[in-house]
Amino acid sequence: MRTSTRASGASPLMYVTLTLVVLLSIAPLYFMLVMASRANSEILSVPPPLLPGDQLAGNIERVFANEDVQFGRALLNTLLVASVATVAVVLTSALAGFAFAKLRFRGRHGLLVFVVATMMVPVQLGLIPLYMLMTEVGLAGGLASVTLPFLVSGFGVFFMRQYASQAIPDELIEAARVDGASTVRIFWSVVLPALRPAAAVLGLLTFMERWNDFLWPYISLDFNHPTVQVALSRLSGGYYTDQALVMAGTLMGTLPLVVVFILFGRQIVGGIMEGGVKS
Amino acid sequence: MNRTRRIAASLAAVVALGGLAACGDGGSGGGDDITLRVNLFGQFGYTEAYEKFEDDHPGVKIVETAEGDLGEYNTKLTQQIAAGGDAGDVVAIEEGQTVAFLAAADKFVDLQEHGGDELKDRWLPWVWDKATTADGSTTIGYGTDVGGLAMCYRRDLFEKAGLPTERDEVGALWPTWDDFIATGKKFQAGIDDDKVGFIDSSTNTYNSILMQQGDHTYFDRDEELVFDTNPGIKTAWDYAVEMTEAGLSAKLRAFSDEWNAGFKNGAFATIACPAWMTGYIKEQAGEENAGKWDIATVPGGGGNWGGSWLAVPKTSENQDLAIELIEYLSGEEGQMMAFEAEGRLPSLPALYDTPELKDATNPYFNDAPVGQLFVAGASQLEPVYLGAKNVPVRDAVENALRSVENGEVSADQGWSEASAAAEKAAR
Amino acid sequence: MARTRLARQQGAGLAFVAPFFVVFAVFGAFPLVYTAWVSLHDWSLLAGKQEFLGIANYRELLADAAFWRALVNTLGIFLLATIPQLILATVLAQILNTSLRGRTGWRMGVLVPNVTSVAAVGIIFGLIFARDYGIANWLLDIVGIDPINWRADRWAAWLAIATMVDWRWTGYNALILLAALQSVPSDLYEAARIDGASAWRQFWSITVPMLRPTLIFVTIIATIGGIQLFTEPLLFNSGANAIAGGNRGQFQTVAMYLVQQGFTGHRFGYASTIAWVLFVIIAVASAINLILLRRIRSAD
Repeated sequence: MRTSTRASGASPLMYVTLTLVVLLSIAPLYFMLVMASRANSEILSVPPPLLPGDQLAGNIERVFANEDVQFGRALLNTLLVASVATVAVVLTSALAGFAFAKLRFRGRHGLLVFVVATMMVPVQLGLIPLYMLMTEVGLAGGLASVTLPFLVSGFGVFFMRQYASQAIPDELIEAARVDGASTVRIFWSVVLPALRPAAAVLGLLTFMERWNDFLWPYISLDFNHPTVQVALSRLSGGYYTDQALVMAGTLMGTLPLVVVFILFGRQIVGGIMEGGVKS
Repeated sequence: MNRTRRIAASLAAVVALGGLAACGDGGSGGGDDITLRVNLFGQFGYTEAYEKFEDDHPGVKIVETAEGDLGEYNTKLTQQIAAGGDAGDVVAIEEGQTVAFLAAADKFVDLQEHGGDELKDRWLPWVWDKATTADGSTTIGYGTDVGGLAMCYRRDLFEKAGLPTERDEVGALWPTWDDFIATGKKFQAGIDDDKVGFIDSSTNTYNSILMQQGDHTYFDRDEELVFDTNPGIKTAWDYAVEMTEAGLSAKLRAFSDEWNAGFKNGAFATIACPAWMTGYIKEQAGEENAGKWDIATVPGGGGNWGGSWLAVPKTSENQDLAIELIEYLSGEEGQMMAFEAEGRLPSLPALYDTPELKDATNPYFNDAPVGQLFVAGASQLEPVYLGAKNVPVRDAVENALRSVENGEVSADQGWSEASAAAEKAAR
Repeated sequence: MARTRLARQQGAGLAFVAPFFVVFAVFGAFPLVYTAWVSLHDWSLLAGKQEFLGIANYRELLADAAFWRALVNTLGIFLLATIPQLILATVLAQILNTSLRGRTGWRMGVLVPNVTSVAAVGIIFGLIFARDYGIANWLLDIVGIDPINWRADRWAAWLAIATMVDWRWTGYNALILLAALQSVPSDLYEAARIDGASAWRQFWSITVPMLRPTLIFVTIIATIGGIQLFTEPLLFNSGANAIAGGNRGQFQTVAMYLVQQGFTGHRFGYASTIAWVLFVIIAVASAINLILLRRIRSAD
């Protein structure tokens, strides 16, 4: 029996295309590395340097040593905020997505449209009333203010809903019902495993979004609760920005993301659909 | 139940991290340490001043955050003040934003209630007024530097073009802007290089000329837009267009990456420079260009570009200490230290007669006598009224001027576009 | 029996979607209602509420040439960027779905643009599209074309920004599509291959119908993101007054216009109006896209 492989095997052309795409994708990151490993005066020269220098360790040390920036604490804070948000978003989106896709309840079409509509208003002005709200409930300044509003995501719900509708055949759910399983049980045993690739991607994208968020944390957090992007903004000092230092800090700020990438990335594999529906 | 285990594990990890982060919170320094946050733009040169203040106030630590781009800084400060967020214990307000922030004067500490009245005469007379509401009831800022205006130039490029290089001779080349343009034409003919411009951009020169044309620019003191009636605007515009049409401009955008690089690689030979710009030039051009830049008097004799005030937002939890700090920074010692560190021109007439200021020279600029160049004009400076919507109107006019500079529109069309855009931006 | 089962689904359905709506009700609703309220006023950001205007802001906006220009820019960049991007993303997702060596590495590699700091992106693309010593102009020079001032010409600016957008978001969409591809059972492809169907045929007859829900998702998300475009055009315009999107607004998007009116011009009321009008535009565009995509033969 032929072991089932995904579509056909990979051709050399595919590898070439991928290599090109990845090279283009990585180039600016590489440039960041070059800038982070050199002294600041070398960076803005024309032509710019193309190879890494030897200042990387020194620059990184300066980033962490800088008391005003509190980079270490910022990393931990952001890890906390992003992790909590990711777990919450994936869970609530899977729940709601499954319900919208597979459960019949009145109002579901209208409510789904509402969920998608919430994404359509630009967010820049909402900062001001949101801050007013945070101040009212006494959460302004702390990590809760950058976590709580992001425990759910319209993007996540919509994403999971679409994925559930294509990845979970009705028959599967029917079969489980016939066996007497409750809806909750169905969710945990049947649905969640099937949603694994989507959960991995959603988790990854959510974590990334929370990690990279700058403007709202900047406005809402007080000095002692920095997140990574806010801390990085403190590295640039006045007119004379030590770009090398900023890049070193940015690189350090990106590293945890790469780790998370690898962890989640491994999960984007086929779920229960491998091999088709078994009756 | 792979999924459940993973969720449980993630939650456990998250709680553990939460514990870590929370523990990190309370343990900063000793129990009584106070951190004062100073939020500025650019380089104010207060490092030494902070140290002195910290020495005099044990247990107090000062942290400065500085945003390089003034536009970004203003946007962020506006967002924070509007939302009621924590902008810091001390913030800087630039001359173009004073009227705007005075509209939110209730969000700042009223310095008149904290000893300001006794200090108010130490500054140039108009400096106090600029940070005070129209009815005189509330003052939100203490003045730090004033801009002043001179003309910075590249000796080596002048030499290459066959122009004199000594600053007295150079200053004598251009007592008026017409002479400046004539000199520019000679320069372009002499340098014979397309990539080098006599001036960096038409907009910087336009702004400098505009600020010399009387006591107000786009708005009169009743906050009426006077774009079409203030002859000074057309004068400045026409000069700028003339320079563009004579091919004198390097056509760079102020504060863009290319403009920054231009200091280092000699893309332009002159730039209107207020006192604070000398620090900027030094940072951008770097050590290798020391001695190549010099300073001469500006056409028109003098002028003003820039100037800042220090304010204390009401959201500060250390208001008394912050007020003490801004008193110090805007006082004689603080302002002298800023001058020595970054060339920022003090706003205290008492300092103008001191030898430290009068005889000061700037080694980077070929030992130019910055004291004389800038101080001489400073006490004669007349305040220029900048309206509440000065920034958006100025941006709109600059955009139109740049379009003309880039050849995107004709000068006449640019002027009518500027007028329409100014009117719209003033709403 | 059937009725209780349905009732249970009703209960379960509402219970499952409740968490979203609870959090939204607490944190999401107020900002939306507030900005709608502000849009009915002449409201200065720093000086506060001035006077009630009713829909006067909306009338002013519809007659505002700068707004329409920004809208044209936004839609132009959107179409220029999104169509190639989604095609590329689909192709990329297909490739990433095959049995590659080092699969995870390749997959994460395409997401790197979303991780790269905004500052680095700005610097790199600034170098590429610089007027005087830029890489793009240097390449054009080799082919014998005159250098372009990328920020002065509308089409050039749109093209450059579309490049930046595609660079940043193609991998993102590819990954979403990749996840969706995991849900297509491979025996469907096996059967088709045995029947002699070409890869192209398999794509159109199997992949696209099975992926219809995700294609709808990706298109609507791209529509929302594309019409709200802000970061890339702002980055493209280094220097003073970057929010203006070029000297004559050649590439100012509606979101940039919104921020300019709100935070530089301090017209909080007018900016809120722009936000809600943008909402309407996005809603209409999304509906159109939905209708178009619905015509894809569904897999059911």
